[in-house]
Amino acid sequence: MIPIDNFLVLSAILFSLGMYGVLARRNAVLILMSVELMLQAVVINFVAFAVYLDPEAFTGIIFAVFVIVIAAAEAGLALAIILRLFRNRQISNVDEANLMKW
Amino acid sequence: MGMEQAWLIPAIPAAAFAILLIFGPYLPRRGDWLAIAAIGASFVLVFPVLADLLDRADGTTYVAGEKAWEWISFDLGSVGETFEIEIGFYVDPITIVMLAVVTLVALMVQVYSIAYMKGDSRYGWYFTVMSLFAASMLTLVLANNLLLLYAGWEAVGFCSFLLIGFWWEKRSAAEAAKKAFITTRVGDVGLLIGIIMLWHEGPNTFNIQEIIHFAEGGGYGDTYLTAAVLFLFMGALGKSGQFPLHVWLPDAMEGPTPVSALIHAATMVVAGVYLVARMLPLFEVADPIALNVVLIVGLITVMLSATMGLAATDIKRVIAYSTLNSLGLMFVALGSSAVAAAMLYLFVHGFFKALLFLGAGSVIHATEEQDMNRLGGLAAKMPITAATFAIGTLAMIGLVPLSGFWAKDEVLVFAEEEQHVIVYLVLLSSLAITGLYMARLFVRTFLFAPREQATYDHAHEGGALITVPLLILGLLAAVGGFVVFDEVGEALGFPGGFAQFVFLHEAHQFDFQLDTAITSTVLAGGGAVVGWVLWQGKAELAARIRDAFSPISTLLANRYYVDEVYQFAIDRVVLVLGGIIAWFDRVVINDRGVNGSAYIAYFTGLEARLLQTGRIPNYALAIVVGILILAIVMLVTQV
Repeated sequence: MIPIDNFLVLSAILFSLGMYGVLARRNAVLILMSVELMLQAVVINFVAFAVYLDPEAFTGIIFAVFVIVIAAAEAGLALAIILRLFRNRQISNVDEANLMKW
Repeated sequence: MGMEQAWLIPAIPAAAFAILLIFGPYLPRRGDWLAIAAIGASFVLVFPVLADLLDRADGTTYVAGEKAWEWISFDLGSVGETFEIEIGFYVDPITIVMLAVVTLVALMVQVYSIAYMKGDSRYGWYFTVMSLFAASMLTLVLANNLLLLYAGWEAVGFCSFLLIGFWWEKRSAAEAAKKAFITTRVGDVGLLIGIIMLWHEGPNTFNIQEIIHFAEGGGYGDTYLTAAVLFLFMGALGKSGQFPLHVWLPDAMEGPTPVSALIHAATMVVAGVYLVARMLPLFEVADPIALNVVLIVGLITVMLSATMGLAATDIKRVIAYSTLNSLGLMFVALGSSAVAAAMLYLFVHGFFKALLFLGAGSVIHATEEQDMNRLGGLAAKMPITAATFAIGTLAMIGLVPLSGFWAKDEVLVFAEEEQHVIVYLVLLSSLAITGLYMARLFVRTFLFAPREQATYDHAHEGGALITVPLLILGLLAAVGGFVVFDEVGEALGFPGGFAQFVFLHEAHQFDFQLDTAITSTVLAGGGAVVGWVLWQGKAELAARIRDAFSPISTLLANRYYVDEVYQFAIDRVVLVLGGIIAWFDRVVINDRGVNGSAYIAYFTGLEARLLQTGRIPNYALAIVVGILILAIVMLVTQV
């Protein structure tokens, strides 16, 4: 059986990639995609722990399903916001969305 | 009608005041008739009240009449007592004397004012305030409790302020009004403290008779009571213009002359005497120091005012000093527990001093001049004024058989019997000085050649509205003193003379002592004759004496520099202290405290808002860094 470390390392790599994307990217859609990446890293962790620590219980799996559902909802909401932003100001760069500034 | 209806006496002028205040400008003749009718009605009402008091009297034991309504009442939860304030009226012989003086003089003065104030732009306002004054003064006199008395006390002070500053366009009048108000306020604070002290340790009431009863039963501590009555006396000191709070009264002469006659001679200024007379049982129960303070203050005032009267040249000011002089005499009498003598002096003083002021007013009205150095010889032009003024002058000097003589004689007899011989000698010397300055006043104003021909030519006798009050008051000033005799009193329906009517412990007969009478008459008459000689004609003799004793005459002309000392104290102490406090308030409290704390909040916000960049990557970075920090902290603490 594949050791759990492999899954955890994969999850960490995915999460770091996502975090790098969130911090480094300026395009709102790419930031959203990076956030999705981070969420999927978490899902991998959930599933791995669920299988390796307590195969009888479904707790981790159910959590994974929840995260996917919420990620879908979040993506829908965030895309709608980005769409409104683009419609109103013709931008998708988050640096230019600075109306909330002091 | 009886004592239970005595409340009508102040209520009628109060109602007149309310009507005049609201509808005055729409009434014919600005409503002067209403004010006069109101005070006339009050005057008439005094008689049934007096008759009722005499009816109920058993010999010389008077049953005081009292009637009270609840005004304010609430529970003092913490003490479990009820706090009550009443509006109550109390009638006894002292009250009657005051009522008679106040209503009669007020009536005379208001009739006189019709002519004197004619054509004034605030004619209606004058009568409105006069009505308010009459109402408050009568309330003060009739009050059965200290708080109502205090309310009346403050109200008369306020009316005095309004009337001194009646011609407020004149700067000196406005300042005199302010000075009078503030100076008497110094005393009034003392009065209020005294009232609170008497209530606090007392029987949870402000009722004067209950407080006196409580004190006589030894309810108050000795020192405590002494302190309380001395505070009460402070109020009397301010209101009655006794040293050291006498400075306001001469300046109060800026008001219209009838006002001086009513408020600053016959009624308001004697409120202090009335207060002490009313509370005299407390003074007697307290330490003897209290009565001695009253006596000494009276003596100092008598001497100071008599000598200052010598140097003043304004006729109204001279009369004002003579008022201080008389008030001092009353306090000397009260300091000897001679309430009958004090009240008798108050009674006749009301008449002859109002007469003097109204006479002076007649002169001022006729000549528009009140400096003695520019008057003279007016007797030829104004015979009635001169004759009545002469009666007033002689009554003030105290010559037989005018009213002032009998009253002054009673005071002297008490001073001789009860007090140290020095007190008696000081009083006698003050009588001589009184003769001197009153003779000077009369001689310089009415006799010998006029000093300014134009003023003299302008002079004329006033109409009946002016002369009739003068004649009535002149008559009273001449014969008023006869009430000391038992026969006169009985003829009027009293059980006897004045001292059988007004007394503290027991009724007594008029005690006429020939040696005292002769000494005082010789001294006072001698003073008057010397005054006549000194100031006759061009007054060269007086001028020579003045120059020979120039330091003294300068001292007198500058009124012992008391005003200067007060001014210095205000400039250098009060204003400097106030300046320091104002600086502290402005710089430390306001700039550093209030504005300082506000600036801290402002500055913090100014710097902290820079954190809100509005850039999403910054927030994202902050989140990541925060989580990293939390993770590191967790790792460190768990390992």
